[in-house]
Amino acid sequence: MKPAPFDYLAVTSIDEAVRALQASCDAKIIAGGQSLVPMMNFRLVQPELLVDINRIAALSQITETTGGLTIGALVRHVESQKSQLTIRHFPVIAEAMHHVAHVAIRNRGTIGGSLVHADPAAEWPLLATLLDAELEIHGPDGERRAIPAEFFLGPLVTDLQEGELLTAAHLPYLPAGAGAAFDEFAQRAGDFAIVSVGAVVALRDGVIAEARLALGGVGDTPLRAQAAETHLVGKPLSDGLLAQAATLAVEGLEPNTDLHASSEYRLHLVPILARRVLATAARRARGACE
Amino acid sequence: MEIRDSVLIAQDRETVWRALNDVEVLRRSIPGCDTLEQTSPENMTATVTLKVGPIKAKFAGEVTLSEINAPESYRLSGEGKGGIAGFAKGSARVRLEAQGADATLLHYDVTADVGGKIAQLGARLLDSTARKLSKQFFEDFSAAVCADAAAEALS
Repeated sequence: MKPAPFDYLAVTSIDEAVRALQASCDAKIIAGGQSLVPMMNFRLVQPELLVDINRIAALSQITETTGGLTIGALVRHVESQKSQLTIRHFPVIAEAMHHVAHVAIRNRGTIGGSLVHADPAAEWPLLATLLDAELEIHGPDGERRAIPAEFFLGPLVTDLQEGELLTAAHLPYLPAGAGAAFDEFAQRAGDFAIVSVGAVVALRDGVIAEARLALGGVGDTPLRAQAAETHLVGKPLSDGLLAQAATLAVEGLEPNTDLHASSEYRLHLVPILARRVLATAARRARGACE
Repeated sequence: MEIRDSVLIAQDRETVWRALNDVEVLRRSIPGCDTLEQTSPENMTATVTLKVGPIKAKFAGEVTLSEINAPESYRLSGEGKGGIAGFAKGSARVRLEAQGADATLLHYDVTADVGGKIAQLGARLLDSTARKLSKQFFEDFSAAVCADAAAEALS
């Protein structure tokens, strides 16, 4: 399959990209092209103009900032997996990146592309939700920040407006004594997850000081299991407590049925994965406290 | 896929039933509807642009009313072809239940089917999209009925 004809413009700065997006009523940003190009080849997406941002060097960096890491929108999945900075501060990223499609796609696909594509079962939207990321967006009116709960609006739908582009994700460091973990279940390695789960557990003197549990593939966007999180905080860590929280993770969920899995099956998977991931995060938190 | 839900409309059943048979109200309520033209009392032709994130597909097709049991229930069916993107068809069984003199509970029971490229690539996302579009239709319909009634009361 071949895409419909389109114009192509390679830009070298964020401002130039924003101007190009404004000049056309039907332009799309191309970065890694791992979701966009298949959709174009199927002719489901027929942009009039592709704005190639691969030459904007500033977007390819992972940098330490006050209180966290900034991951540029053009950072490839494989770079986020192998960077010394992410390995040191967020080993959970590498753990999740193993599940992103296949090597060729991880070499080319970008963090920004995954976030703006907003597939509710994809790994980066889930990581952004789990890690309380702040998303940096540039547009005609300058720069703004968005949090995942407001950025992800539905399957493939985000709060990104016409003329705007995502430029980076800011990840605040996890608190002291924290551990994080990620796992997912897919039919075959590299497929989109049927259910994916990420957790952060922070311990202080054996008591859970902070808990986060993020779920993918069970709603229109990645979600946080608030009932489970609330149940964990302020209580002494125990296997029983994690099991109770895992059970609470299904509260309020209404997963879809599709040809890969029924709603009931997804609801069955959530507590199982949640329990495993919470236990791993808690074990790592204990290690971090020693 | 099947979607079953209901929406409470702050108008009497007669008004809601009239709106269910009003082409202009339907055109304003069908998500992405560009044109809707009546060809017979029960048949209409429609063009609809469906937009889901970056995906935009234009469908041209037929809208039909059947199983009419005035002023209580009917079936609203639509079938459209979106060229290379594929096809979409669906029908909604609509039933009106009077809630006192000035409110009506509209029950709907939607079945939808999508095929072609759009289904191959978006199979995981179709269910929630169909759910959202159904909800949007009946919410917009409810708003349109109330707005029309308010305008009528003023004139």
